[in-house]
Amino acid sequence: MQAQNSRRDFIKKMTAASIAASATTLPMAGFLSSCSPSIAKIAASADTVILLWMAGGMAHTETFDPKAFVPFEKRLDMKRVLSTFPKKPTVVDGLEFSEGLQSIGSVMDKGAIIRSYKAADLGHILHTRHQYHWHTCYEPPQSVQAPHIGAWIAKELGPANPVIPPFIAMGQRFTMGESEELKAFHSAGFLGTEYGPFLIPDPAGGLESVRPPQGMSLKRFEARYKLYKTLANKHKIMEQGSDYQRESLMRSMEQSYRLLNSPEAKVFDLSQEPKEVYDTYNTGRFGLGCLMAKRLAMNGGRFISVSTEYEPFIGWDTHDNGHARVKKMKALIDRPVAQLIKDLDETGHLDRTLVILATEFSRDAVMEGRPEEQVKDQVSRQPDVIDNEKHYGMHRHFTDGSSILMWGGGIKKGLVYGKTADERPCTSIENTVVIDQVHQSIYHALGIPPQTHYEIEGRPFYTTPDGHGKPILDLFGKSLT
Amino acid sequence: MENSNWIFQLLGRLHPLLVHFPIGLLVVALCFELFTLRGKRPGLRQGINWMVFFGAASACVAALFGWLLRTQENYSGDLVDNHQYAGIATAVFALATALVLRNTLKKQSADLRAYRFMLFATVIATTIAGHLGANLTHGEDYLWEILPNHKTVNNGATSSVLLTELGTTDSLSALQQDKLSLEVRGLFAHKCYQCHSENKQKGALILATKEGVFKGGESGLAIVPGKPEQSELFRRITLPANHKEVMPTKGKLLNDREIALVKLWIQKGAHWSDEKVKIFPEALLALQKIKLPISNQAHPVDKLVDDYFQKHNIEWPVIVDDPTFIRRAYLDIIGLLPEPEAIHQFENDKNPNKRDALIDSLLGDHRNYTQHWLSFWNDLLRNDYSGPGFITGGRKQISGWLYKSLMTNKTYDKMVKELISPVEGSEGFIKGIEWRGVVNASQRTEMQAAQNIGQSLMGVNVKCASCHNSFVSNLTLEQAYGFAAIFAEKPLELNRCDIPIGKIATADFLYPELGIVKGETIAKRLLNLSDIMVQEENGRLYRTITNRFWHRLLGKGIIEPLDEMDSPAWDDALMDWLASDFIAANMDLKHLIKRIMSSKTYQLPAVSYKKIEDTKTDYVFRGPLVRRLSAEQFSDAISQIISPLYPAVAFNPEGEKTKAKRVWHKEVSFNRTVLPEPGKRYFRKSFNIKNKKITNAKILISVDHAYSLFMNGKKIAEGRDWTQVDKLEVSNYLKPGKNTIAVEGENEGTIGNPAGVLFSMKVLYQSGETLEINSDETWKSTDLLPDENWTTNSFKDDSWKAVKNYGTQNWGTLPDFSFKNHDGKFARASLVKQHPFMKTLGRPSREIVTTSREVQATLLQALELTNGAFFNNVLEKGAIKWLEAYKNEPEKLVDQLYQKTLGRSPSPAEKNILMNTLGDAPQKEQLQDIFWSVFILPEFQFIN
Repeated sequence: MQAQNSRRDFIKKMTAASIAASATTLPMAGFLSSCSPSIAKIAASADTVILLWMAGGMAHTETFDPKAFVPFEKRLDMKRVLSTFPKKPTVVDGLEFSEGLQSIGSVMDKGAIIRSYKAADLGHILHTRHQYHWHTCYEPPQSVQAPHIGAWIAKELGPANPVIPPFIAMGQRFTMGESEELKAFHSAGFLGTEYGPFLIPDPAGGLESVRPPQGMSLKRFEARYKLYKTLANKHKIMEQGSDYQRESLMRSMEQSYRLLNSPEAKVFDLSQEPKEVYDTYNTGRFGLGCLMAKRLAMNGGRFISVSTEYEPFIGWDTHDNGHARVKKMKALIDRPVAQLIKDLDETGHLDRTLVILATEFSRDAVMEGRPEEQVKDQVSRQPDVIDNEKHYGMHRHFTDGSSILMWGGGIKKGLVYGKTADERPCTSIENTVVIDQVHQSIYHALGIPPQTHYEIEGRPFYTTPDGHGKPILDLFGKSLT
Repeated sequence: MENSNWIFQLLGRLHPLLVHFPIGLLVVALCFELFTLRGKRPGLRQGINWMVFFGAASACVAALFGWLLRTQENYSGDLVDNHQYAGIATAVFALATALVLRNTLKKQSADLRAYRFMLFATVIATTIAGHLGANLTHGEDYLWEILPNHKTVNNGATSSVLLTELGTTDSLSALQQDKLSLEVRGLFAHKCYQCHSENKQKGALILATKEGVFKGGESGLAIVPGKPEQSELFRRITLPANHKEVMPTKGKLLNDREIALVKLWIQKGAHWSDEKVKIFPEALLALQKIKLPISNQAHPVDKLVDDYFQKHNIEWPVIVDDPTFIRRAYLDIIGLLPEPEAIHQFENDKNPNKRDALIDSLLGDHRNYTQHWLSFWNDLLRNDYSGPGFITGGRKQISGWLYKSLMTNKTYDKMVKELISPVEGSEGFIKGIEWRGVVNASQRTEMQAAQNIGQSLMGVNVKCASCHNSFVSNLTLEQAYGFAAIFAEKPLELNRCDIPIGKIATADFLYPELGIVKGETIAKRLLNLSDIMVQEENGRLYRTITNRFWHRLLGKGIIEPLDEMDSPAWDDALMDWLASDFIAANMDLKHLIKRIMSSKTYQLPAVSYKKIEDTKTDYVFRGPLVRRLSAEQFSDAISQIISPLYPAVAFNPEGEKTKAKRVWHKEVSFNRTVLPEPGKRYFRKSFNIKNKKITNAKILISVDHAYSLFMNGKKIAEGRDWTQVDKLEVSNYLKPGKNTIAVEGENEGTIGNPAGVLFSMKVLYQSGETLEINSDETWKSTDLLPDENWTTNSFKDDSWKAVKNYGTQNWGTLPDFSFKNHDGKFARASLVKQHPFMKTLGRPSREIVTTSREVQATLLQALELTNGAFFNNVLEKGAIKWLEAYKNEPEKLVDQLYQKTLGRSPSPAEKNILMNTLGDAPQKEQLQDIFWSVFILPEFQFIN
């Protein structure tokens, strides 16, 4: 009930937001000349995007595209093993997932699966380069700083609720290996920091990011702001003619005051959730990220990402113990992802929220890279015939086939798009999908024209390289079931 | 209609052929007529008569055909009109002459005077008509351009000028043809290359090459020479805007003038000039010699600006007062705020040259000058202490070299030489950033070197041309690759948009007029290139850096954008004079700063603009722009005023090196080391003390996040702030024989995060011998709560594991982690690793060259300042310190705060507000809030 009321409130505020947004998107406007206005707008089928990021390379054959299962035994020839888990049916006829993903399987009637994503060929594997490519649509390095897809969306659409930052990235810390490379794409690039990610590494502490500093009461917070305003207005500088720099400072302070002082800040407070809901989601930081994503999507979030977090050799980056670790990872994602879809669906928010689950590339037991372009092996201690269970799993990086799940925001329900070969190499063999199609499909759902671009250092820089990407229109439309 | 028209058209086109008959016949007739004067050579008479008759007839036919040509092919213009009148006059005169001659002959009269006069007039008319006709076909300049002192008007020939000039002619001179062709090619480059060049061949059509243009594309022939109406290209550009086949699809449609130009070009046979299309303006490489204008102003910069102001009807405003000037000067030269005493002294200084003296003394503060300007150079040369590429060894810092260069005020030409032809420590600049795996050809490290030298040093965009011929300058793919080839070990194959095109690049600098780069080895080529680049003839190099310094000191360049030095300057004379002056001063960077800052121009009041756009279009210089404190200036100011913002530096140019390593319990999950989980960990290290007298034993310790320190079972210290180095004297706790240090460390937080113990102990015996114990891999640790006696000597730690060295990446180097006395210096922000706080305030991640930073405040910045834990903690620390210092003097506190922060005392009204906020018994919370409010003030954050 309460959600209903607050929803109405938000619609009111959103109107105010669009006015506010038009006033605040000034910063880089003089520097960038958008060429988009001349392009006809397309109708949007989604207002919000949630990206559930499986960082580290999730094997499609171990998750959403299972192949022939061979159980572990001594003297096992790994070449025979395509999957280390048995298949389980899902709610969609004929669609099977790997064991341990039954909850997600049960909501596949509300979404679609792409089984034919093909990552770029970037040679000797560096996860963060592929992640950079997935999130910006450009292969690093670039001669200008490429914006994250979340920054593009923040720039083009602005906040859906003026007090909720339009680009929120959850779950990733930047303190371990490859952290600099991670930072390189968690960025608004040339669009300017205004559109950069609002980072929440630990969703459980999400409230910290948006509430007045610790130990500061609301009363004191208000008094402090008042003091600043009074002092600022006392000085003659403020009486001199208006200046864009001073004004942008005063305006941004005003905005942050409003955000920190607004009731919406509660959206970031997971303790507002009933205990059983909290517990359902709480499989760890990722699960709580899903819960936060739900709250944000329902209250005017624009682009929200939740990452299982990338850390070299941790998470989905299984260089050893693949089977055991994937089992844990499935347990981490299965329940909260399914619950997120259910909750959004039940409250009617799924209609306008596009949820995507993806990874930078897949894994394989035998092949590093792709069939026509095998690259330097990074898992050299992997014997062909195994005795030890720690060698049982998909330990090499495979770039030729991987799965993407999508729900809501106009996505066809129950659709299975594309397929991979049932025998090794399990490459994409039908309706191969590449990254610029994925990006354009997202922009299409949001009503952002495919030719959107800005001129930077004399170069027209498009949302997808050269503006070539085409949305996969087959993904959208009426339900199949 | 169409069917009969062609006959008239054909006849019309015979006009240029026919006109030669009347000209030849009538002129020769007149000559022969002259020979027969006074009855001589009567034999010629018969011939002359026929010549006149035929001449007159052909003149009439030629005039008729001329009229046909004009009406059939839509000629217009004054030239055509005049030619027509002259032609008709010729025909009429010729006819009249012929009639008079016939009558005279009939009368058998010998009086030829009337006829002769008529013939003479006819020939004059013929000459005029002929000349005008020739102007039409060969161009009005045709005859005169070969004269010695003739000036061509070729430069700046816009399409409209060309149109009026050529539109009226029927056949063009070679020169005109070339001009027309280049103009049309320029138009293609701007409007069509985006989709129709070698890079991108939509509809299989290339408009960038001769072959491509005449081969056409999928829709057939693009151009049918002479026939616009049959040319597909012409059809497509003339379709209505909403037609689905209209071209171009990207950008604006062609305007009427541009369409007319294309039409004319096709009509005239679509000639293709092989000349290189230079469609973008290019600045001269050499500096112009500037004579200073005569002016009342004393300073050369002011003389030039005075001239500029006069041209723009601008009155000189009154220069800024002393407090404003000293704040600017401090921030611009050393990046710090002037202390209240310095301001006071300066204000009371009676020396008329005190501003110059201040500039000199600040420039003499080498250390602070270096630590401020380091940020400028790091941005420009894309040098940083962390960032992508370091992890795989694909990148190298030049920090040490750069620091030294600034400390010693190395001349700019020497710096450039060493950047291009590296010496020890400067290799990192041209090395670029190498990522693991396959990268786009335009991002190979050789190309990065070309791009970065182009952008940083020469102010030219090589980035575009490294993928395809540039759309924004005249640079070609071949030139970019030629430049890159200088840095290449092996032959470099050209790639167009990442696809090899089977051409090998020839090493060549972008501006071959400065010299040809030779050498078999890279080293030789680089040495050669560096010599070529720094020569004075390369004015562009010096103009570029001069302009950057001007921008840095006045908020806006003389030329903008800073990286496109082919753009016009708002004052050319000022630009080139300053650059020449810089060269004349031996490329001394400090001279350049002084030259600019000592001018009245620099000391003008800052100009406010309503919108940022107002600083871009139609910019007129009136004074410096209002500038915002940079991330580094803001950070340093906070450190200076209340409490160090950063405890540690990433680059430590002066400090001593410690052998201590930051260690923690090795945390493992699935055989992989992971980030330390929150919780307590236990550390031990045993050592031997000789049975000798100890003079002193000192300990330094810093633990992330908290620690308790035990010596031989006794707790001797604890701490909860790793940024604070705790210093202890422990000789009383040591005893001969085995001793044990034990540390209980605690990692805070809710999720795994970096943790580490940093420890160093120095024992000095009276004998002069020393013992040093440092935290390193010989220490042992456990994550299980040990028995109670774990801090004692007798405890058995055999089951404990060796600790892991976590390096300095997450903490940097603590300048205070030293046994020497610390003199209160704080870590300057320029030496600190990129930090979220500075990043939010606009310090760029230096993966690419950055030459100007964002100037406007953003919401994320405001959020960081308003509730960021980092900033808040510093404010709190500062409040505690200040309360101690000004315990019972709230009034003095308020006054000092304003003096230190804003360089002035608070007004009575301000004082009143602040005193009310502080209350009778000031608490740290209130003071913290006052700090916050003052640091956010526009008066503080802007350089006015």
